[in-house]
Amino acid sequence: MIVADLVQYVVTGLLVGGVYALMSIGLALIFGVMRVVNFAQGDFMMLGMYLTYWLAIGYGVDPLLGALLTIPPFFVLGLVVHRLLLVHVTGRGDPQREMDAQLILTLGLSLIITNAVTMLLSPEPRGIKTAYATQAFVVGPILVNQARSYAFAMALLLAVVVYVFLTRTDLGKALRAAADDPEAAGYQAIDVRTMHGVAFGIGIALVAAAGGLLATYYPIEPTVAVNFIVLMFVAVVLGGLGSIPGAFIGGIVIGLVQSLTLLVLPFQLQNVGVFVAFLLVLYLRPQGLFGQRVRTV
Amino acid sequence: MSAMLKVSGLGVSYGGLHALADVSLDVGDGEFVTIVGPNGAGKTTLLKAISGAVRVGSGHIEFRGRDVGALSPARRAALGIAHVPEGRRVFPSLTVLDNLELGSYRAAARSRRAESLEAVLALFPVLGSRAKQLAGSLSGGEQQMLALGRGLMAQPDLLLLDEPSQGLGPRIVEHIFETIAEIRRRRRLTILLVEQRVVEALELADRGYVLETGRVVLAGGRDALLADRKVQNVYLGGESR
Ligand SMILES: Nc1ncnc2c1ncn2[C@@H]1O[C@H](COP(=O)(O)OP(=O)(O)OP(=O)(O)O)[C@@H](O)[C@H]1O
Ligand SMILES: [Mg+2]
Repeated sequence: MIVADLVQYVVTGLLVGGVYALMSIGLALIFGVMRVVNFAQGDFMMLGMYLTYWLAIGYGVDPLLGALLTIPPFFVLGLVVHRLLLVHVTGRGDPQREMDAQLILTLGLSLIITNAVTMLLSPEPRGIKTAYATQAFVVGPILVNQARSYAFAMALLLAVVVYVFLTRTDLGKALRAAADDPEAAGYQAIDVRTMHGVAFGIGIALVAAAGGLLATYYPIEPTVAVNFIVLMFVAVVLGGLGSIPGAFIGGIVIGLVQSLTLLVLPFQLQNVGVFVAFLLVLYLRPQGLFGQRVRTV
Repeated sequence: MSAMLKVSGLGVSYGGLHALADVSLDVGDGEFVTIVGPNGAGKTTLLKAISGAVRVGSGHIEFRGRDVGALSPARRAALGIAHVPEGRRVFPSLTVLDNLELGSYRAAARSRRAESLEAVLALFPVLGSRAKQLAGSLSGGEQQMLALGRGLMAQPDLLLLDEPSQGLGPRIVEHIFETIAEIRRRRRLTILLVEQRVVEALELADRGYVLETGRVVLAGGRDALLADRKVQNVYLGGESR
């Protein structure tokens, strides 16, 4: 009985963790390549949820497909945001002052997006109704929610695609080179500014897609970012700042810890466990679970 | 001989501190030129100015007759300038093979990647046996070979080498210099080599410049420089054998 409960919570944690993992690798990629902490990451996730919602309600697009469809427009949006805004606060001079400028810029972006969406759309939560959202796979004594299972599978698939892209393609390797050593990357004809744009584009496309997947089982509202941005940050720090595989594992761990916390604490406190685990890891292994001392993509 | 590289009146300063002042030099097509000088003379700064990693305060840099002074490092590399930087600067979290492949990232070299790779691995067989290893796990000497190999993968028109001997044991240094000589023999690659090891560098090169506190204080052919009294006193005295 208690064992079945435990397995139930582990499975649930794993499933939501997969979606957290996808969000987090987007954040890690941006940090790894650009050295920018993107505080607006959660807001791009929220926008991805709304785009998926709009595709579902307006055009009957299944949100699992809708999540995928968010990728191209958000990639382009990322290129544009980089070209218009971030380019002015990256790779120009004094890193300390740049960091302040980046913080103000991405925080400001976050506020603007949240408030614009609140104003333009209503603050009321919305949901996408699908047949699978309320159904479960029954595995012995365990119920596995179908929406979460599909979202998990898609998140995993996308993470694998990202991994293959980063390790097998010229562009992917160039991104990692730019993260490792921007100056040396320039000597190999790798345009670091372009790499920043690509990293930001992919980074927010991934979090938007994760948002779309999340929307299959989580209510959509303009302020939804606050519930997730912290989880992403914790996952990225846990995984070793900027490491993509680390962020992936970090996301899974967060999902598990969050879920298992519910065994002992009420729902409202489910993130307490996440923070306790976070502090423990930082105390025992300050470079993160999987980070080497240096940060790499 | 047509000029591959022409630097004129170059001035670079780091926040008010002059690192280079009115430096002029040229490297002919197929020539091997070396720049020697003591610590802090501005040798690295000069190479970085040529490849675009530092902002130039004054002067001009022409590569194959084209003013490249305003281009990004990536654009200059795309044109055929390969910079093998001081301290090797391999990409530590990428494999040896990935590092080499990125050397041929520029469009002009990408189509010839397979043949370049074969040539580089023939030059440095150890890189072949370490192909799947992370570059960060290599020894200093191996990293230098990797940095050199990565530069060659670009099939460059101009190869900039910044102190390839730095921090390496005598046997490896000898090997590195031998390899540079061999690269030079095989294809008449244009090379600009920066070194503190004055004798070895001058012996390899056709011509040389002596840089001191940001200025060219002496220039000439290999034999003239090796025979120069000042060079002998200041640079060769301590290390002649
Ligand atoms: N990023 C920098 N910021 C400020 N000053 C610098 C910077 N890089 C170099 N310098 C200064 O510029 C001068 C020239 O440095 P540079 O590295 O070009 O010399 P070098 O001839 O390559 O020396 P070494 O033989 O030690 O490599 C030195 O006084 C150095 O302290
Ligand atoms: Mg130097």
